[in-house]
Parts: sequence; structure tokens; C-alpha cells
Amino acid sequence: MTEATNINIDDALLVEQCRLGRSPAMERLILKYQNRIYNVILKICANHDDAAELTQETFVKVIENIDRFECRSSFYTWLFRIAVNLTLNHCQKSVRLRAKSLDAQDDEHSEDARNLLQEFLSDDSSPDPAAVAQNKELCRIALKALADLDNDHRAVIVLRDIEGMDYARIARVLGIELGTVKSRLSRARSNLRQILETVCNEDKSKNR
Amino acid sequence: MKINPKIDELLNSFIDGELSPRQQTEVQRLISHDPQIGQRLRQLQKCKMLVSSLPFVQAPPGMLENIKTALEREALPIGPAAGRSPSEQRAGQRHLFVRKVLAVAAMVGLVAVLAIVIYSIVAPRLTPEPHIVATRNLPTVVEPVKPALPAMTAKFNGRLELKTSAFIEVDASINRAIADNDLLDCISLAREPDASEYVLACSRKGLSLLLADLESIWARLDSATLLVQTKEFGRPVVVNAVAPQQILEIAGQNSLERSIEVAKDFAALNNMAELLPGKEVLTAINDRTSDLITGPRIPKPVLTGWPKMIKESTTQTTFAPAKVNLAITVIVGK
Repeated sequence: MTEATNINIDDALLVEQCRLGRSPAMERLILKYQNRIYNVILKICANHDDAAELTQETFVKVIENIDRFECRSSFYTWLFRIAVNLTLNHCQKSVRLRAKSLDAQDDEHSEDARNLLQEFLSDDSSPDPAAVAQNKELCRIALKALADLDNDHRAVIVLRDIEGMDYARIARVLGIELGTVKSRLSRARSNLRQILETVCNEDKSKNR
Repeated sequence: MKINPKIDELLNSFIDGELSPRQQTEVQRLISHDPQIGQRLRQLQKCKMLVSSLPFVQAPPGMLENIKTALEREALPIGPAAGRSPSEQRAGQRHLFVRKVLAVAAMVGLVAVLAIVIYSIVAPRLTPEPHIVATRNLPTVVEPVKPALPAMTAKFNGRLELKTSAFIEVDASINRAIADNDLLDCISLAREPDASEYVLACSRKGLSLLLADLESIWARLDSATLLVQTKEFGRPVVVNAVAPQQILEIAGQNSLERSIEVAKDFAALNNMAELLPGKEVLTAINDRTSDLITGPRIPKPVLTGWPKMIKESTTQTTFAPAKVNLAITVIVGK
């Protein structure tokens, strides 16, 4: 079954009304997806201002080209493809990413944070995800580690673990093969694990 | 811990629920048999959990308004332009395209017209050999003179009236001269019992050849009068006692004005010659019935030897390519 047959009926209706020039339909599409798009872009580009600008640019481009959308994929996939492409292009051009990681202006983490991460990563612990989310220090470390990944690795992890897309949709959004998604995601998680372990071992290396 | 990348891929797919039930069973069997693989699975699961646990950040307030403003800036169908549908916009674009095409076509047409006008001014004018304007009625109406033609293409329009007592011979000579010089296509003939009219429309070269052959009939003429048409209708220049050489010289001028001037000169000259003493001698010479004709004939000085000169001159002189319209009327003399 192709994706076109699974197209979200609500989206299809809104897109059709958009094509007829109905402003309310456009507003509904923007309101429906603006937060998800912004969140994904923010996690990839790691900058609030850039994320806001890229989100705006994404919707402008989508509405400009709404007549060219041929419903071969879902509107959701098409929208995220535009957003991710714009963001990755921006990241390639931007040199600020490395210097300004999200909510982590300095590379130093507190000892408490490192201990917390160590405890989280230890094999025997099985923490509650909600508790992890509420721990700001841990989130800060995670965002920093995410920002340290390559652009392609960061994008594939964000689409899978934050946006929750399946592999097939990730392949369509990124325009790559399904096998590439599997291998890229595997390497991305492996690299992320190494970055996190490096953070845990900072204290030990300093004490030596 | 060193893990095979393929095993890592399999474990990640297991975590993400991308495996078939059979593959899931296989992975579970691997985990239960190899503690290292089990440990790696837990590491990857925690990575996933850490990223998944990151707080969801909402778009800043006013995002919708910012997008609308950006769209309005780019004149898209939202806000003030919301009343126009994309189909209407497409129709507008088509209309604009048609207008552009029409404008280009108009420009091309204008350029073509200008090119034709410029070409007609600049390009050398080629005058094809004229065809005969023939009529069976007397007097013949010759093709009207086209006004304001350039000097080299000006037409000579004239009428040569020949009166003769030897009408049949003269008429036969004219016919023969026409045939000999291949001027049949340039001549139209109107004939009555006591008059013939040959309307000649040919080049000056053709006229010179014809006149050279007609020289022999001049001795049989009672009178030869050339009427040169001027710009004033009905007021031709009349050249009495005109000689073939004079006709050729008048017709051979490069402009109509010049032809008229020469015709006037010859008219005055011939009129004076008529008034000079000794005219009687000339009349006697020309009169075939005179007694003098029986004696040794005095050759006509003007005409003697001129056909040869004309024949030579036609090969040496470059005649203007202009047209000559000459009506030759042969009338029985009284």
C-alpha cells in the first residue's frame, strides 16, 4: 500500500482548501504543525532564533509551493522534508552551531550532572523516562551531546526518537534508502553513547 | 566493548520495533545467549530514552502572525490577496503571457515594416523590361507617365507623326524593321485604311536599332514631326522636320526635363532651317516628283552614313535603361 492511500484525510482537505486560496485552511495547517516543526528544527539546529526563522521559512515555502504538492506522499512527510532540508542546509552554512549549543554555553558540566549521567548509563539502572525528562541537568547534557553529533546523525536521531517517525518515513523525508537509515541511525546512537561516556569520564581524566 | 555494526543495526531495529516477529525472536535468542549483546541493547535503549525524554519545545508565540506577514510580503494568497484563488492567479498569469506574446509579435511586425520601408529606399531599383500597353483605337493612350521617378529611370513619351505619299512602302519598311530588331513584343499596331499607328514601348537601345533601320524611309516622307510629351498635359514640344538622330538624342537623355530641353532646341533649330534661304533646294531634293530627282541625286547630308553611326553608337554608348514610349503614326500625305 502506498503512502498516498494512507494520506491523512484532514490534511488532504486542508491542502485542497489551501489551493483554493482559503486562508483559514492555511492557518489551520500552520497551527497544526508549527510546534512539531519548530521542536524538530530546534533539536537539529540547536538555536532558538534560527529555529523560529527556519520554521517560518518552512511554512512560507510550503504555502508558496502548495500547488506543486502532488499527494504522492503525505503532506506531513512533504512538510518535514522541506523543514529538515532547510535546516540541514542552514547547519552546513552556519558556523555558530559548534559555538552555541542549546542551553549549554560552556562545555563544563557539574559533578552532580556527571554523576547523574553515570548513574543513568550504568547497566543496572532502569530509570523512569518521566523522571529523566524532569531532570534539567541531564537534559542539558543530552542536548549538548546531540549537538556534538554530525548533522546527518543528529537529523536521523531527532526524526526517530523525538518526532517518532518509522524508518520508511525517515527515508522519504531525508531522501535516502531504507538500509541507509538503519546504518546511519545505528552509527548515530553509537556515537551518541560514546559522547555521553566521554562526558562521564571528564572528571576521571581531570583527576589524573 | 566492540560490537559488530550489523549486530548494532539489528539491535537498533529491535529497539525501534522495525523487525518482523521472526527477527525479533532471533534477537531475543541472541540476547539470552550473549550477555555482551544484552548489555549493548541496554546501552542503546538508554540513548534512545535520553533523547526521547528531551522536553518538547513549543513554537514561540506569534509564529502564525509572522508567517502571515512573510506571506503578505511575498504577495502570496493570504491576507489582502486572500480573495484571489490560485486558479485566478494562473488565469492572470496566462493573460499576462498572452499580452507579452502579442507585444513581441507587434514589435516583430513593426520591425518588419520598417525593414521593408528602409529596403525600398536603400535597395537598388530594378526596372524590368516593360510590357506593351496596346490599344486598337486611335489615338493610342500610352501607359501614363509615373511622376517623380529618378532621373535614370524617367520615361520618354513622345509621338512621331510621319506623313508620306508612299504609305504602303513606308508602312512595310516599318514592319520589317520591327521584325528585324525583334521588337514585335514591344509594339502594338493599330491600322486604318489611310493610317497606321505603332505604339512602341521599349528600351532606348531598342529605339536606336529601330531608327537606324528606318533611316531609309526618311527620303520618302513628306514630313516627320515629333511631339514630346511634357508635364503640362496637352502642351507637347513639337519638333518639325525631325531627323532620326534627333529623335534618338532627345529620347536618349537621362531625364525627362533634359529630353524636353533638347527637343525644344531641335524644334527651334529645325524651324530656323526651314526659314533659311535655299529651302527650295532642300524641298526639291526631298521631292521625288521634282525634276532634280532625275538628275544626279544630291545625297541628304544629314542622313548620309548616319545609320552606320547609329549602329556603332549603340555598341559604344551606354544607354540609360529607362523606358521609351513612342507612338509612331504613319499617315498618307496630302
